[in-house]
Amino acid sequence: MTAWHLDDDALRRYVERTDSLAEGASAEQHLLSCEPCRARVTAAASVIERSVIDFAAVWDRTRDAVEVPRPSVFERLLRGAGLPAPEARLVAVASAFRSVWLVGVAAVLTFAALAAALGHARGVWLFLAVAPVVPCLVVASSYDPWMDPALEPELVTPYPALRLILLRTIAVLALALPAVLLFGLVVPGETAFAWLLPAVGFVAVVLAASTWISPLRAAIAVSTVWLAAVWLLAARSGSPESVLQARVQAGFLALAAASFSIFLIRRRQLRQLRPWR
Amino acid sequence: MDSRPGDEMLLLAVAERDMGAFRTLYERHAGWLAIRLARRCNDRDLVADAIQDTFVAVWQKPRGFRGDGDIAAWLWGIAIRRLVSRIRTRSSVAAVFEHAGVAPAAEDQVLLSVEYGDVGQALARLSPEMRAVIQAVVLDGLSAKEAAHLLHVPVSSVKTRLYRAKAHLRAALAEGPS
Amino acid sequence: MVTASISLRDVGRTFGATRALAGVDLDLKPGVTGLLGPNGAGKTTLLRLLATALPPSQGQVRVLGLDPEVPAERTGIRRQLGYQPQEVGFPRGFTAFAFVDYIALLKEWSQPAARHAEVRRVLDLVGLSDLGSKRIRAMSGGQRRRVSLAQALLGSPPVLILDEPTTGVDPEQRVTLRTVLAELARTSIVVLSTHQTEDVAALCERVIVLDRGRVRYDGPVTDLTGQAAGRVWLADEPDPAAKVSWRTGTGRYRNIGTRVRDDVEHAEPSLEDAYLLLGGGSPEPETAEEVAS
Repeated sequence: MTAWHLDDDALRRYVERTDSLAEGASAEQHLLSCEPCRARVTAAASVIERSVIDFAAVWDRTRDAVEVPRPSVFERLLRGAGLPAPEARLVAVASAFRSVWLVGVAAVLTFAALAAALGHARGVWLFLAVAPVVPCLVVASSYDPWMDPALEPELVTPYPALRLILLRTIAVLALALPAVLLFGLVVPGETAFAWLLPAVGFVAVVLAASTWISPLRAAIAVSTVWLAAVWLLAARSGSPESVLQARVQAGFLALAAASFSIFLIRRRQLRQLRPWR
Repeated sequence: MDSRPGDEMLLLAVAERDMGAFRTLYERHAGWLAIRLARRCNDRDLVADAIQDTFVAVWQKPRGFRGDGDIAAWLWGIAIRRLVSRIRTRSSVAAVFEHAGVAPAAEDQVLLSVEYGDVGQALARLSPEMRAVIQAVVLDGLSAKEAAHLLHVPVSSVKTRLYRAKAHLRAALAEGPS
Repeated sequence: MVTASISLRDVGRTFGATRALAGVDLDLKPGVTGLLGPNGAGKTTLLRLLATALPPSQGQVRVLGLDPEVPAERTGIRRQLGYQPQEVGFPRGFTAFAFVDYIALLKEWSQPAARHAEVRRVLDLVGLSDLGSKRIRAMSGGQRRRVSLAQALLGSPPVLILDEPTTGVDPEQRVTLRTVLAELARTSIVVLSTHQTEDVAALCERVIVLDRGRVRYDGPVTDLTGQAAGRVWLADEPDPAAKVSWRTGTGRYRNIGTRVRDDVEHAEPSLEDAYLLLGGGSPEPETAEEVAS
């Protein structure tokens, strides 16, 4: 088999498509196992007048297809929501959007919702303890240095830190809030929404605190304080409705407003290494 | 001893995400693959897209080649199926079996019978449509469904033409050389 | 055209009780400046300060005429800055291309075509153009250093700060690195820190020696090397009169001392000799050069 090769004439007829089916079939069978003849065919391909395809252009497209990172589902969602492509990519890259994280959050919420649906007052307290801190924990993880291994080169880029953090916060809330709302519907009574303002308040506190300490530490501190408060309240009054009182809700609103103002005032602290690093 | 890396080595390197090896593979095979595809479809853009799809597929599953047979045959299998995919998604296309209409001239007939004997002659006497089906199914190894997509005819036509082509060939071969 | 420059006036930095830098006065111009010093000397702190990653505790910093304490000017500096930190953690699942592309996004390269071309250009500069699609976590240490260098080179910045760029990089790649930096240093200010005196000798025109947060020497490499002239000699045994002496690869001993001596077999002084004379660090046995005399 290796002794026989396509002669120049046959090669030309093959490349120019002036041969017959039988000739072509024979040539093609041969080419499948003969590297030198394939090379000759390839060489001929670049010489014939009306070139088959623009090989260089196709290579560029092929290389782009495998090398350039493809947008994730979340990134495409953000683009669809109106965010410019570079922004969508920056937001989507954050750790909080990794599937492992989201699965963990979903597990916690499921547990809390089940507890609320099964038990009664106890279950509702449990849900109230967990639901408000989920958003601030997720927000914190979206830009915390511990979760973000590439901090140092990111730190010294011109991209506005404030914009990035706010974008990520909004994106994460857009993900987390509907999920928590959905679970909240399982909870009996009007307390299903009593957690919303506290949640907003805690997010704002974490944002403000992140101008002093690590966001994740702030979120953990806030969560611990809230859990302790809920435990005390539950032991004392026994009725979750106390959280619904206008005073309490207004208090959380004020907390949110004050914290957010502090965050905006101190925003220039966001882009420098802190001693805790 | 050939100092250039063999195709199998290149595939291993591609599995390790070596862009240089990938490029070499492209430079070695895109040429003949494109020419062979162009003999089944005269739309250059479709051929270009099919070549791109082929190499992207190779990048994504370089270990898809099990080492049985030639790499060239494996590549062709991917390429022709990618072409069929592309043709399917373009409804308004005139993808044509390029030289279905070329009937060999008298001198070539003699040449055919000398070089390819009875089979070559018998094939030459088939109608273009039947030749197209033989090439797609018998030579390129496509299924009836894939051949139908490639040739823009219903699957039933493919099966009918194949049946008739085989019948003709059997008859012609039984007849003996003329 | 105003020449690019960085200036530090009486700059200090403390972390709690530790004083990492004190009384630093520097003026940097285009060219390659090497930062030498033992661990804990304050090299990384100084580089972070120059890269606007840290504010000084006291003193004044001006990069390209801009003040990093002013947020708007800090952003202006960062637009013209490339920084390779000592350690970079890479996000999971990122390929080299994806990571450099991500940093390019943060550096305001919003047009995909131009950005991708620039990513390929810098990957090519560090010799990783064929490995752009390899996951960083699957790369060797030296390859990862090169990825972190590539992102610093984006945009050919007027200010390039590199923290130990040659550590873990093989000799072949070091040569390429030297060529790349030399080219950039025609118009850019390049500051790099290293433990290897031979990198400074081969690449830098200027050297700053840091010791316990203070500048011990700041000037041309040749001048520093010259300080060891006549003060380096070879002997068959370590000389007790020497400040430092060590065994070279041939079995003879290289000695350096503060006084110029006449009655000894002199050797051509290297930058490392001068550095040791200055009191910096201890000689690395494997880098000790044997100079045939």
